[in-house]
Amino acid sequence: MTDAVLVIQDLHKRFDDGLVALRGIDLTVRRGEVVCVIGPSGAGKSTLLRLVNGLEEKTRGSIVVDGIPLDQNRRNRLRIRTETGIVFQAFNLFPHMTVRDNINLAQIKVRKRKKRDAEAVTVGLLEKIGLCDKIDAYPSQLSGGQQQRVAIARALAMQPSVMMFDEATSALDPEMVGEVLEVMKTLAAEGMTMLVVTHEMGFAREVGDRIVFMDEGVVVEEGRSADFFNFPKTERAKAFLARIL
Amino acid sequence: MNYRYSIKSYGGSVLFLGLLLLLGISGYDRLNYNWQWYRIPGYLIRLKDGAPVTGMLVDGLIVTLQISFLSLFLTVGIGIVIALMRLSTSPMLRLIALVYVEIIRNTPLLIQLFVMYFVISPVVGLSPFVSALAALSLFEGAYASEIIRSGILGLPRGQWEAAYSLGLSSYDTYIGVVFPQVMRQILPMLAGQGVSLIKDSALVSTISIFDLTMQGRRIVSETFLTFEIWFTVAFCYFLLTAPLSLLIARIEKRFGGHD
Repeated sequence: MTDAVLVIQDLHKRFDDGLVALRGIDLTVRRGEVVCVIGPSGAGKSTLLRLVNGLEEKTRGSIVVDGIPLDQNRRNRLRIRTETGIVFQAFNLFPHMTVRDNINLAQIKVRKRKKRDAEAVTVGLLEKIGLCDKIDAYPSQLSGGQQQRVAIARALAMQPSVMMFDEATSALDPEMVGEVLEVMKTLAAEGMTMLVVTHEMGFAREVGDRIVFMDEGVVVEEGRSADFFNFPKTERAKAFLARIL
Repeated sequence: MNYRYSIKSYGGSVLFLGLLLLLGISGYDRLNYNWQWYRIPGYLIRLKDGAPVTGMLVDGLIVTLQISFLSLFLTVGIGIVIALMRLSTSPMLRLIALVYVEIIRNTPLLIQLFVMYFVISPVVGLSPFVSALAALSLFEGAYASEIIRSGILGLPRGQWEAAYSLGLSSYDTYIGVVFPQVMRQILPMLAGQGVSLIKDSALVSTISIFDLTMQGRRIVSETFLTFEIWFTVAFCYFLLTAPLSLLIARIEKRFGGHD
């Protein structure tokens, strides 16, 4: 437990319209661990990630990233935003910028890197995701799979302590899912700490160290990947797996 | 079917133009107006001791250009500030901006010019030119702020979230992510506001600014060349606004196609 990157305790979220998305989540992600969050839609999986990143305001409970508590302190909040990379379902690349500038922007503005240093990081990442030849392309000139790979590179360029994926492949055409999962697998193999919300059970089973099964705002079941998929303990998890496998 | 329709509409427009021409010619005669177009060039440019000097109309055109050009920048500046105030989290700023926009949009520009010229400028000590510039910019700025605000609100939520999640400050988000996209989106509407601005600037002639309209009025009162002068003045305004309108058409063609 000493090397926990992300510690979530008793996390609650109630939206302004009264919808209760999370009803007390406890979750710890250790360094180098890949945790896959699965469950039916509306379970609160995305909300969980968005709370950690500060995109939504928590109602109650605590979130600690790399020893920094997510509280009202502006500096802490900024550090957490920088330490947690997030990849969205809809890519959300900046359409008016080239791939190069998409990846450079936050490195220069937030990490205060020199242009040359940022550029070196960007080129290195593009090599890794196999898109070096697209460095001067605009997002609209890329396929969905390529855009999502660039979005991953953009988040990685900040060298976050934990990478979060919010259904990163759900908006992709089936033939492009593979290339994005491949990049995620590479990251996992390199020891990146990852919190992955996904509907790709194959990925969760193969790459996930641990599975967190959520439903109706609570963690219903949690366990090692092989255990969970082969011997689910709760009825709800069994029913869910039976439905989608 | 199609063929017959096109013949019919073609014939219709010929008939319409013919009638218009007839009306024009008969009116031209009936007016009994002594057309003196030959006197117009002298008000545009004339030779004095062999050197060309600008005539009254061109002098006015230059003033109109100055006011419009300066006001365009102020308009966009005011528009951005007011739009950001209306979108700010501070209720006070939001209220101030809202009251400003509603007052400007619900009173005539002519009255705003009078208030600025007769009430505010003596108190603060503004020259007529500055008060004209201020009134015009405050007026157009209110409309520009609504255009900019709608542009900012129209930006997909994901763009804000991406910028936020990367740790960008609000300043960097606006400068790097929001404005470049919004400006591209609203440029046609802003240019349209620019066209309005140039036309509205004619009203500054009422507060003793010697712009194109004022010069036209002076010449008419001295020479009674009513028709020639006002046609020429209208054409001068057209020369200023037409490039902007063309620009709008081109932008819309360029950005309207894909995306």
